[in-house]
Amino acid sequence: MKVPELESIFLNRGPIPEQRDFRRVLVLGGDLAGAALRERLVSEGFEVVELGNNGTEAESTGNGGAAGQTLKRIDGFVGGFEASLSSTKGSSTGRFGFVVAAQPAQRLAKFGDYGLGPSEKVISLSQLEALLKGEGTLPEPRGDWFHAAFLCGLEGDADPAAFKRVFDAIEQLRSKVRVQPYVLTRHVKVAADGMERRYREIREAGTLFFKFDESGPIFEQGLDELSIVFTDPILGVELELAPDILVVDEHLAPPESLQPLLDLIPSSAATAPFLQPESSRFSGVRTPKAGILATGASRGHFSLEPDASDVEAVVVALKTSMTEEIPAAFPGPPIVDPAKCTICLTCVRLCPHGAMSFRKRAEADPASCVRCGICASECPMEAIRLEPPEGQGDVIGKVRGALSRAQDGTRIVALLCSRSAAHAMAATGPRLTGNVIPVVVPCAGTVDVSAVLKAFELGADGVLVAGCHTGNCASIWGTVLAGGRVSHASDMLEEAGIDPRRLMFVTLASNTPGAFVRAVQELSDTITR
Amino acid sequence: MKTDVAIIGGGIAGLWCAYELSRLGFRSVIVERNAHLGGHVAYYCCKATDKCQRCGACLLEDVLDTIQSSDKISFHLQTNILRVERANGRFSLKLLRRPSRIHPDQCNDCGKCLDTCPSPGALARTATGDRLLINEEACLFFRDRSCRVCVDVCPEGAVNLAASNEEISLDASSVILATGFKPFDAGEKPRFGYGRVPGVITGLELDQMLRADNFDVGNGEKALRSVAFIQCIGSRDPRIGRNYCSRVCCGYALRLARLLRSRSPEIEPSMFYMDIQTFDRDFERRLDIARKEVRLIRAIPAEVRSGSEGRPELIYHGPNDEKLYESFDLVVLSIGISPNPAIAGLAELLEVPLNEDAFLGVNGDEVMTGTSGVFVAGAAQGPKSIEESVSHAIKTAANVASYLNRSGQGDKS
Repeated sequence: MKVPELESIFLNRGPIPEQRDFRRVLVLGGDLAGAALRERLVSEGFEVVELGNNGTEAESTGNGGAAGQTLKRIDGFVGGFEASLSSTKGSSTGRFGFVVAAQPAQRLAKFGDYGLGPSEKVISLSQLEALLKGEGTLPEPRGDWFHAAFLCGLEGDADPAAFKRVFDAIEQLRSKVRVQPYVLTRHVKVAADGMERRYREIREAGTLFFKFDESGPIFEQGLDELSIVFTDPILGVELELAPDILVVDEHLAPPESLQPLLDLIPSSAATAPFLQPESSRFSGVRTPKAGILATGASRGHFSLEPDASDVEAVVVALKTSMTEEIPAAFPGPPIVDPAKCTICLTCVRLCPHGAMSFRKRAEADPASCVRCGICASECPMEAIRLEPPEGQGDVIGKVRGALSRAQDGTRIVALLCSRSAAHAMAATGPRLTGNVIPVVVPCAGTVDVSAVLKAFELGADGVLVAGCHTGNCASIWGTVLAGGRVSHASDMLEEAGIDPRRLMFVTLASNTPGAFVRAVQELSDTITR
Repeated sequence: MKTDVAIIGGGIAGLWCAYELSRLGFRSVIVERNAHLGGHVAYYCCKATDKCQRCGACLLEDVLDTIQSSDKISFHLQTNILRVERANGRFSLKLLRRPSRIHPDQCNDCGKCLDTCPSPGALARTATGDRLLINEEACLFFRDRSCRVCVDVCPEGAVNLAASNEEISLDASSVILATGFKPFDAGEKPRFGYGRVPGVITGLELDQMLRADNFDVGNGEKALRSVAFIQCIGSRDPRIGRNYCSRVCCGYALRLARLLRSRSPEIEPSMFYMDIQTFDRDFERRLDIARKEVRLIRAIPAEVRSGSEGRPELIYHGPNDEKLYESFDLVVLSIGISPNPAIAGLAELLEVPLNEDAFLGVNGDEVMTGTSGVFVAGAAQGPKSIEESVSHAIKTAANVASYLNRSGQGDKS
């Protein structure tokens, strides 16, 4: 997993907002989805500024269309983002409570992938759609029938949305000309509402589908000549098509203008080119940074109707973001010791949630912080701590307390991520034997070397650190960093003459109590051996 | 206290609706006919190899935690809907709650009842393993009142065989149908050998065995080596009324195949398919990775039969239309998503139409049912993955919230 280098991130220089204003929303839009989102948010009482796509004009009809402006840079935190906008008329700044990236995917025709050049006969699916809308005319067929060949997912992949567009185009062509359609593909993607039914209808109405495995067709494109030569994957015979038109599908690429937002979220090093990590932990439209939301292609989601459900999810996210609760058992936000902080910016670089900023010293935005504790455990100056809730100790305090109450015998201190391992241990039931002393932490990312070493000092016979599987950590790389720290602590144990196998790191999920039992068993066996 | 939303079904979609609605300030009551919350997801295993494969099954634990501690969400387990009446834009539901014959708070899980029960199957653990249940069909007490052993041996007095059904009234401003799906019954496609040929199981069964930690990849002579996954069992098959793709099965088969390989690198999985449907932003990368670990064969076998050495044998057509015979240690049928049969009765009670596939998705509008105040969430609308069900539930919750705000029915507090 990629952790950003210092120079590769754009340092957030926005101040921690003293006053937060949640009414103003900046929408990076530019197509129908952006417009629908703007309209919906306005109806909910938000004040919306919508920017166009890649510098093109947003539809400036209605409320808040900011024609021709682009986002150059953005700093700050939820309730107080500061955006620098630029347009041909000059630059301006704006203050926003939220930012929603709602930009459509870029559609890049796959001409080059197939070794084809665009021509009157070789056009992209978008170009055909424009022709069918009346923007231009179809080429003249050479015979009575208009032969139209579609390439869909022969190179790269396709999705149900691409097939829906092909099916729509075929039906529209059929209403205009006597058409013989061919679709050349590898996998017909019908995993969307009604698509299997349409696939059958289109096939029964005469469209021929050729599904290739490893091999594919050979294209011969001359000045006026166009032919497709291939072996029919079913009949095994050589075929040659000389279509009147060859329609090339498109790669869906992430929107171009997300960079200023990606720059604001350090963990985008692991999620780019999209704003949302590829993780089940990020449902809906959330990104790792509070106040920044992403829909459709901006979050890496390409579906049949990409943004319809995302619009409602944005409304819920905006309305509930003020009531987002940190669990009572979690500590408070990071406190930076001014005497120790050297502004090395390790915390700014490693905070997955972009919750850290700096002025005279590093500082954390409490509204953006989820209390994963990565900043504190990674700070080389030990300048950061998270105040435990009243009546509770910090991690070392909890370990001390738990060990002092523990029974005699082999004692295993288990430092458990609250999201995965704590659930897994709770679900073990009678299967779990031995003297396991659980210490629940918000994220494995909280566990630092000194806590692990201290546990041994306080009398633990073994220490188990258990976090989420890579790719399933709510703080993106909390579990990866914890694993690295455990291996560092193992080296130190070895130097101190303690068997390093007494310290164990595992990743597991909330629904794998068996894996937890096995880990404890393995560690117990090591200790008693 | 007024209930804003009655949520029928306590699976991942229903739970997520309740969670989002609680954050928006609305009260919901979840009505679940089974004895546990979480629906099918509670039985799925984690598919992570050394990395998360993004199946989403672990999302359930997170949301369950929140639900159980929320003062805006309550639930009735083992409860069915008897009647629904509408008046003045509100819904009056009559519910029938079957009693918990083993009281969950009193039971200390000692297992004495399980050990002494004379009738096989009368006492069982729920699939999630955390509760004990009495199955009235197998229990001798319910047959002829001849046995009360469990009551006598229970040291906690947690067993109450005499407990009776209870009628409950529930008044709500809106209803969400989150009744989920039914896994396709593999027995409906006898040619794939399910229930007839040893070594043929369903993907769901494999999932459940892995979840319960009782799937053994074996070792030495008995080590599991060849595993065939057969796709589209009960999907894309209009002859049996399933003229749709179940959407999730290619993904779960590939995940299970990779999971098995991570348990034992000697396992060689094969996947028989029509078209591979799994797709997301990293599909190409995932398929490339999967291709290195899973043999992909474009063919749906004509038959699965008992072959030599008692192993299941597949008969399928090769690329040159030749008939091929191949034996496997294990055959896993990727059964699809069928509509929940219970939805028909509920749809009638609530006067909502079903679509041609017998799901609740109508008019292409995925959260409205066509009846004002009645919404749908999750796989009740059509086949969905866990993550898709969650996304859908968020959208449903948002729509329900604006309906309640518009109609002035919300009892925001």
